Amino acid sequence: MIDDWVGHYHSRRESVVSRLPAGLKLGVALGMIVGTVLAPPGAIGWYVSMAVVLGLTVALSRVPVLFLLKRLAWLSPFVLGVALVNALQPAARGGWETVAVKSTICLLTVIVVSNTTPFSGVLHVLREARVPGLLITTIALMHRYLFVLVEEAERMRRARASRTFRRGRGARWQTLSTVVGQLFVRASERAERIYDAMCARGWK
Amino acid sequence: MNAAIEVTGLSYRYHDGTEALRGVSFRVAPGECVGLLGPNGSGKSTLLLHLNGLLPEKAGWDGAVRILGHAVTPENLETIRRQVGLVFQDPDDQLFCPTIAEDVAFGPQQLGLSEAAVKERAEKALAQTGLAGFGHRATHHLSHGEKRRACLAGVLACEPSILALDEPTSDLDPRGRREFKALLQGIAATKLIATHDLELVVELCSRAIVLDHGAVVADGPVTELLNDEALMLAHGLERPHILRHKHPHG
Repeated sequence: MIDDWVGHYHSRRESVVSRLPAGLKLGVALGMIVGTVLAPPGAIGWYVSMAVVLGLTVALSRVPVLFLLKRLAWLSPFVLGVALVNALQPAARGGWETVAVKSTICLLTVIVVSNTTPFSGVLHVLREARVPGLLITTIALMHRYLFVLVEEAERMRRARASRTFRRGRGARWQTLSTVVGQLFVRASERAERIYDAMCARGWK
Repeated sequence: MNAAIEVTGLSYRYHDGTEALRGVSFRVAPGECVGLLGPNGSGKSTLLLHLNGLLPEKAGWDGAVRILGHAVTPENLETIRRQVGLVFQDPDDQLFCPTIAEDVAFGPQQLGLSEAAVKERAEKALAQTGLAGFGHRATHHLSHGEKRRACLAGVLACEPSILALDEPTSDLDPRGRREFKALLQGIAATKLIATHDLELVVELCSRAIVLDHGAVVADGPVTELLNDEALMLAHGLERPHILRHKHPHG
């Protein structure tokens, strides 16, 4: 199910890590990411200690390892693609392992934090950090309606699949483009209704 | 005494040319509970949007809507929206905050209340709708019945004197429907309920208005209108079971 790719585990599993204050987790995560990005290629000690911290956090957070790996596989191609291109260039050969290690540490940190911190907690921290209100509202609405859109796409996919009798690649691309177009139209119509609902409760 | 809702000769045409309302006129007295009936596409939802000033006053708009004596005009929108609580048909359109507590607090925050007052109103509305202790739950993880109640809580927290509900019981299971009906029964506000749930109308409302093709085709006491089989069938409705099999002594 698509929801597995965008959904979070924090709502399903309570743990020591999920009970920690959101601000602390986000602060530590930011520190780990900045430290990893700035660490020189030879700083093996830093990478190993980050891996140990992450390993311990995962064990304490009770987030399923398979889920983490799946999510990592889903997010890695973008960064690992860069590492691969780097590896194939004779002039820059040697740096790609560092890129791969750094990206894996950073992505795992983000995945673990996002799956042990409720989204409302993240928004609260952003508010405390005085991020502009409009940006927070936009992020909150995006997160809220991502699930509605995914569910809508899934319903349309099922409806399409139930009336797809022949499997042709061309037809599949054609129907996919129709679904994407429809999703866009439905999303914009929904946006209008949400705006009306907000106005009805006094949004200015 | 001012009518709670007064609609006079209201016509509305959408920008694609669809004529949604044609000369609609009616009055609803304060405290009255009125059922708004009619087939799909008869203009019920459009009419409810007008009560909150949500449709732009451009070409295609004619007539007048007054809420407790105040005309629905761009200058009066704040006053109007304080008075009219609109519960939308699709709960996902209405619940846009990450958690229920934040969503219910949204309206009172927009009213400019203090943090303590916002919290008090939100807690009261949650308790009133049977959602006490649900505040931390994510809005997208609720059941449909819970979403409906959360929507109502969000509107009740603004303490409106008029409630306009669009298909409040659609997609609810029998228990959810029964609970929602009991909830509505306990609310003292003036209510206008657009619905296909005719049994709900019989149980809650004293009066019904039937819309078809954007015009009012009947307006009168619920039992009289809903017992009129010819009228019901002519406008895509039917006599509800509750009236067909009503016990002669009950």
